[in-house]
Amino acid sequence: MQKYNSCGRSEIVPVVLLCAAVFSFFFLSPAVVEGEPSAAELLAQVDDNEVYDTITYTGEMIIEYQGRRYEKRFEAVAKENSDSFIEFVNQEDLGTKYLKRSGRLYVYSPDSEQVMLISGHLLKESMMGSDLSYEDTIENNKMSDRYNPSLIGSDTIDGHPAWVLDLAAKKESESYPRRKFWVDKENGDLLHAEFYALSGAKLKEYSLIRADVIHDRRFPVEFEMRDLLRKNSRTLFIMHDVVLDAPVNDSVFSMRNLER
Amino acid sequence: MENVMDKELRGQGDFLTLSTIAYRNIWRNGRRTILCIIAVAVAVFFNIFMQAWISGMIEGIEEAVRTYETGHVNVVSNLFEEEREYYPVQYPIADGKSATELSAEIEALPGVKAALPRITTYASLFDSTVKHALLWGIDIQRERAVNVFNLTDRDDGLIEGRFPRAGSNECAVGLEFARKAGVKIGDPIPLKTVSAQFSDKYWRPVITGIFAFDYRKFDEEVILVPIDRLQRILVLGEATQQMFIYAENADDALRLRDEVAKMLGPGQTVREWGDNYWVAYMRQTSFLYVIVFLVFQIVASFLIINTVLMIIHERIKEIGMMGALGMTRREIVTVFFLEAVFLSVLGSAVGMFFGGLVTWIGSLFPLDMDTFTGGGMKEFPVSGTIFITFSPKILMEGFVFGILVSSLCTLIPSLKSAFIEPVEALRR
Repeated sequence: MQKYNSCGRSEIVPVVLLCAAVFSFFFLSPAVVEGEPSAAELLAQVDDNEVYDTITYTGEMIIEYQGRRYEKRFEAVAKENSDSFIEFVNQEDLGTKYLKRSGRLYVYSPDSEQVMLISGHLLKESMMGSDLSYEDTIENNKMSDRYNPSLIGSDTIDGHPAWVLDLAAKKESESYPRRKFWVDKENGDLLHAEFYALSGAKLKEYSLIRADVIHDRRFPVEFEMRDLLRKNSRTLFIMHDVVLDAPVNDSVFSMRNLER
Repeated sequence: MENVMDKELRGQGDFLTLSTIAYRNIWRNGRRTILCIIAVAVAVFFNIFMQAWISGMIEGIEEAVRTYETGHVNVVSNLFEEEREYYPVQYPIADGKSATELSAEIEALPGVKAALPRITTYASLFDSTVKHALLWGIDIQRERAVNVFNLTDRDDGLIEGRFPRAGSNECAVGLEFARKAGVKIGDPIPLKTVSAQFSDKYWRPVITGIFAFDYRKFDEEVILVPIDRLQRILVLGEATQQMFIYAENADDALRLRDEVAKMLGPGQTVREWGDNYWVAYMRQTSFLYVIVFLVFQIVASFLIINTVLMIIHERIKEIGMMGALGMTRREIVTVFFLEAVFLSVLGSAVGMFFGGLVTWIGSLFPLDMDTFTGGGMKEFPVSGTIFITFSPKILMEGFVFGILVSSLCTLIPSLKSAFIEPVEALRR
């Protein structure tokens, strides 16, 4: 487990990857859970807290794969967890842009100088060499709409007592038929999450590293993802200069902006 | 003195006389003799045909390996070698040194015909029935000057359009790939690949040519692109993932391997083509085929053994008579042994003739293995067309092998005739 620096509300905005709802459960409220809450309540809190108007930030993605380290920087804007725009600014990926709009993911590459729709089998592939797939980035529905939660017990993550939730997918089409959440009992942070395949095999792991208080919200600004199907691989996301709920021009999420 | 002279006279005439007797004897039962000849001939024919087939297959594998997989000497980085099956591009050879400079340095070594940089990596295709492909970046002009890609027609394999130009946003695809993906010349192939910096790279090369290398793996999976363009896409700069070195003389491969390894220093894996798994495998299993041929020849020889035993049994009185007339046991054994040898020689000769005829025809009209396998030899580095080897060496080996095995097999039953007592034999 990664060390967890407890400070403020728990939220995770995978704006890094177009505000993937995969992390939507990280938007936990600051409410401190007392007694034993129901699983539905905990998940509802997750959903309630993911609602925000806009977010703008500068991101850093550090990929460690088989002893090598790759660093990528990008600028991201997202709106209502449905529209996102990311532009990579590190030298190797300069000019590569992603646009998520209406649940569809488009990419513009300076190599092809054209916009391409990422769909089908490609959605399951790693995005920018990270431990997240494209599919992870376009999930944007509420967790309570997609999963049936059950509270299966308590645990401790790096010294933090946490509720353990087991989520079973309502639809067979979900990327992860089952998930497990470890929710901080004190501040509602999502400390740890695991993603499972239909066979029961664990596919991915999420660990919160640091959360900051931004506008009275606990916001996860540093976390780690591990794709367990890749040997010796992890991706560290770090978010800088996070601005929440500031006005964003809709033209940012346009095809024209993507092709510009 | 007289005895000595008798002995000398007998000695001079013995072998020819015994040979004449043996040869005449084998035609006393023509049907049986022909059956024996056919049995040996079939075994020898099988031996020759299979040797020619295997030899053709081995030659085909070796050529495919040299052309597509290794060159005569292959250079990759140690890190690439560890993950070779994934074709990683983040581990260029010689710490990312310019491929052009590296080629020039290697080509300066005596005996080097060409040092050709190549890059192979996986690509995921957009909106296609074919989901994945191999991007094969080569210096097309230089490659064509050194290699023939179509191993059957001995040409560059291009069947439509043209190969992509250096530095262009173009590609050529295999005939099978084009059929499966439903693409044609002029169509773009949107794809994603992963760069040396582990970034997603998107590309839409346009198809300018369709090739048929008669090498299933490439015809079905490969998108051929200019290496300089691929270097740029993969952010490799001037570096290359692999270096294929072709020698003036293939026998120089070992020496060149050592010299190149010394020149490049540690961190590189330098192999000669004989180290390839399939080449080594085929070579190491060759002795198994010899055992198979031996068993087949021995089984065929049972007919001769049986014939000799029957002859001895049929001619038991005759053997007694021969003994009574003064023939020694050695001479009697020799007659029967020579009969077996004649059957072996005639059978082997017939087998060699038909073996030679069929393998000669096979060498002119190659076999399309895809017809037999339904294209199932994709993972096997061999051309889809196999030329059976026509070789006098194989014919002679089959002929001598047939005579030796069949003759040796009949030696023991021939000896049986030596233990027949003339008096007992005449009494029957």
